[in-house]
Amino acid sequence: MRIHAGKRQVPLIPTASMADIAFLLIIFFMVTITFEVDKTQVTLPDTQLRFEVPKKSAYISVTEDGTIRVSTGEEISVVVPGPEDVLSFAASVVAADPQKVFVIKADEAVRYQIIDRVIDALKQAKVETLYLLSRAETVESAAGGTAGAPGTGGG
Amino acid sequence: MKFGRTTVSDEIPTASMADIAFLLIIYFMVTTTFAATRGLDFALPKDEDNPPMIEKEESVLIEIGPSGNLVVDGQPMTLDKILEYLKPKLERNPNKPVIIRPDSSAPYGAMVKVFDELRRGAEKGVEVKSISIPTQREIDQFWY
Repeated sequence: MRIHAGKRQVPLIPTASMADIAFLLIIFFMVTITFEVDKTQVTLPDTQLRFEVPKKSAYISVTEDGTIRVSTGEEISVVVPGPEDVLSFAASVVAADPQKVFVIKADEAVRYQIIDRVIDALKQAKVETLYLLSRAETVESAAGGTAGAPGTGGG
Repeated sequence: MKFGRTTVSDEIPTASMADIAFLLIIYFMVTTTFAATRGLDFALPKDEDNPPMIEKEESVLIEIGPSGNLVVDGQPMTLDKILEYLKPKLERNPNKPVIIRPDSSAPYGAMVKVFDELRRGAEKGVEVKSISIPTQREIDQFWY
């Protein structure tokens, strides 16, 4: 007696929806991607209060050695010779958009004198809102902070 | 004579669609950088020719030394004691200005930490309404 084998089932993984899933992921990445205008590597100070910086804000980054870079928020940041040049940069940005938000992205170890001159330039350029970029404070960073040590020196 | 007829499929080949899509995903995943886009907001005062004069006795002066050490109204103090010190003063005068004056060689991080502590005072029932960080130019012009 001849036994007919049943119709042979070919094992198939349904991949029809694979492209849909992939395109959904692409759309997610395209929507959420923000092109970083300033890629300067700095150790930001830790704070517990942190607010979202508005998009397309102008950036001023200061590295530990005092190198200052500026960006209008539209283009990649460029190095400026000194804090005095921040005034002309900020004035031109404010002239184009008086409500422009500025962000200082400075290394926590940078000498305050440089930041003071940058803030002064921004005040003179009539900048209204400034953000001091920071990273979230963790238990370890809070325990090892520099400020807070008792001392006698004054300003 | 027999003519062989080839049948042309009317389907669009979509087999490679997923490959292309996944290549794009990998590109976006590799190039995406999670930028730090959070920080403390700081409303700069208007650059006035005649700023309001504040009597020295009316304000609280927080000085930050070169090593990040704090001196509040002439007394050495730790960061966590500042709000405790300010509480009775702000209860008497809720609008008491607090001035942060870092030394030129003080680390920037120390100033940010003091500013953060004062801003967080509202959560602890010590709301500091007026925080001022004068620049050296302003100090030279208006300090007395």
